[in-house]
Amino acid sequence: MSKDGVEVLVDRITKCFGDDGMALQDVSFRLFTNEFLSIVGRSGCGKSTLLNIIAGLLSPTEGKVLINGQPIHGPGQDRGMVFQHSGLFPWLTAVENIEFGPRNRGIPRDQRRARAMELIELVRLKGFENKYPRELSGGMQQRVAIARAMAMDPKILLMDEPFGALDQLTREDMQRELLRIWETKKKTILFVTHAILEAIFLSDRVIVFNSKPGYVKKEFVIDLPRPRQKSSPQFMRYYEEIYEAIG
Amino acid sequence: MKRSTKRSVDQQKSGRILGMPEQAVKIATVVVLIGIWEMLSQAGILNPLHFPRPSKLIATFWELVTVGYPTGITVWVHIKATVVRILQGYALAAVVAIPMGLAIGRSHLLLRATNPIITFARSIAVISLLPLAIVWFGVGELSRILLIAWGCFWAILTNTVQGARQVDVNYINAARMLSTSKTQLFFRVILPATLPRIFAGMKIGLGVGFMVIIAVEMVGTIKGLGALIQQARFYYSSHIAIDGMIFIGIFGLLISFTLDRLERIILPWAVGLEEVER
Amino acid sequence: MNHSGFTKGLWASWLGFIILLVIWQCIATFKLINPAVFPGPLSIVHTAIFDVPGGRLLQHIGISLFRVALGFLFGLGAGVVLGVTCGWYLKLGSILRTPIELIRPIPPLAWIPIAIIWLGLGEPSKVLIIFLGAFFPVFTNTYKGMVTIDPLVVRAAQTLGLGGTKLLLRVVVPATLPDIATGMRIGWSYCFGCMVAAELIAANSGLGYLIMNARQVGEISIIIYGVIIIGVINLITDFIIQEVLIKRKLKWQYITT
Repeated sequence: MSKDGVEVLVDRITKCFGDDGMALQDVSFRLFTNEFLSIVGRSGCGKSTLLNIIAGLLSPTEGKVLINGQPIHGPGQDRGMVFQHSGLFPWLTAVENIEFGPRNRGIPRDQRRARAMELIELVRLKGFENKYPRELSGGMQQRVAIARAMAMDPKILLMDEPFGALDQLTREDMQRELLRIWETKKKTILFVTHAILEAIFLSDRVIVFNSKPGYVKKEFVIDLPRPRQKSSPQFMRYYEEIYEAIG
Repeated sequence: MKRSTKRSVDQQKSGRILGMPEQAVKIATVVVLIGIWEMLSQAGILNPLHFPRPSKLIATFWELVTVGYPTGITVWVHIKATVVRILQGYALAAVVAIPMGLAIGRSHLLLRATNPIITFARSIAVISLLPLAIVWFGVGELSRILLIAWGCFWAILTNTVQGARQVDVNYINAARMLSTSKTQLFFRVILPATLPRIFAGMKIGLGVGFMVIIAVEMVGTIKGLGALIQQARFYYSSHIAIDGMIFIGIFGLLISFTLDRLERIILPWAVGLEEVER
Repeated sequence: MNHSGFTKGLWASWLGFIILLVIWQCIATFKLINPAVFPGPLSIVHTAIFDVPGGRLLQHIGISLFRVALGFLFGLGAGVVLGVTCGWYLKLGSILRTPIELIRPIPPLAWIPIAIIWLGLGEPSKVLIIFLGAFFPVFTNTYKGMVTIDPLVVRAAQTLGLGGTKLLLRVVVPATLPDIATGMRIGWSYCFGCMVAAELIAANSGLGYLIMNARQVGEISIIIYGVIIIGVINLITDFIIQEVLIKRKLKWQYITT
């Protein structure tokens, strides 16, 4: 795991929503190249709001987000996002969904089709590229969503509880799939979840987030070799520590 | 509160009434009813002026197709006149309502500003505008087409507005993360996302337009299905009136059938529409 | 939504309306369109106060509303009774529904000529049209409601010992009420349109007649006035049905969903 190159600095982000009060309070942390960083906390809007700010979909009330020293202004090609409910466009087939970004950029048909098919193979959906989202299972939809986000070749992948709507078994399959893709493609991933086990299984580091208002409570470095065993004693120790930190 | 069609499914499974398959019973019912009608007419119980015999109705069909009523104007001429009017009025309504609906749906300000006007204009009975249309635009085709357009317009507009308003914010966020410019966002995301709702509005609009045209054709013209049955009224020709009504019914069915087919072709990906605005 | 956004929206609603009125009055004042055929809003108000005696107007309104109410109630009654019957006795329903479904594609307004041939120009023919306007939506929605009842509700009632007619009246019909209510709403607005059309085409009293007659004597202001009145009454009656009947009596549906 290298600690140079792309670096995201989240610098004292505060976000207020009118009458609803302070959603985020003075949030700061760093994200390193090729790192898999998870943010865990109770189900609530704080984590998603933070992710939306980093994505550029929302503006913070105070503070800034710097990528390689440069502040962000809205969404950019360096960041891709996967949502909890895939957000796949139902009027496009799987492969057309993946081509959506490149098409907006004016990339010619053959090129973008080739790239999309590569990604279809990466997420192991060969044979399903011409299906509409409603014809695909939840897990498959999320795989298309991941491929779609990666079609723009972003350096950073933001994932907002992407497996939250899946059943337990599919969820665990997808966790392994995600690790495989991460290790193959060497992306930087910022992953938001309320499932502690999931966070420990996937990440290099876990940030425990307080909800209402949201701020960084505690940080854990997960020093276990992959593939990780959810039943191993070290794993369980991390689980207990994080669970207690959430409070 | 989850619902299922379990009861009707149960019935379909057994599918037999009085020992015969359901379809056969339905056909038999129709045949029996027509038979009774014929017999009652034969026996003189039914006033032939009010209830012409089914055999006469069938003969009248032929007459309408060949000789026409009033003489010279066959049923094809009537149908063509009605179709042309509906198409023109409907196309006019759609061409104005859809862009307007999209614009209003995506702008909070426009939405609030136009809401009272739309609510009120919608509740004006279309037919009540007929005399006004005649005063302003004369007794010609223009008044009729404009009235039909007005009738179709509101259903298409309100459904388009709702559809444009309710585009899932997930789509918009996802698109923003994929290098989508404002123009691209509109044409590649908002428009397709609204299409099912626009289509629903268009189906309802056509239904309304169909009803409006029948009434509108009863005033000031002799060509058209509405005019046909109105003429029949003046001469107490109940057989013509009833046959005309049957033609109108078949016409209506064809319209909705065509639209359903069209929807399946244009929107293969849209399954299960939510509640629509009437 | 925060408070300033809300009040801004409220202003916008009225502003749109007021702008429209102002434009209308300007066109009339500056005679951009022939004033004989395009009176301004002030002119309409003048007509409303001076030219149409309140008594006469109320008389027409009364007649129209009476017709609609009568036709609507008949249609509602027949629609519910038949809908429930066809939905409860499914095999009988299959037979009964056949002629109904065959007749349904024919719009109520297309019945006007035959209604006049059968019943003359008096009240019955108009009530028939209005009846048809209400009947089909009510019947269709009632039937649909009957066949899509949650079977769990039915079985639960059966385990409590209810059967036959009691089951029908105490459980099944109440469970169908939301659909009946939908049918009512749709049926009422159809009825209203049918009433206006029927009165326009063949009547000598009522609001539709008022408008048509005004055209013949060239009183444009009265026409517009009549159109507006019809619209307002439509809105009011829709509102009554929507708010009072449905939201109050069917509170339980809104709470559970």
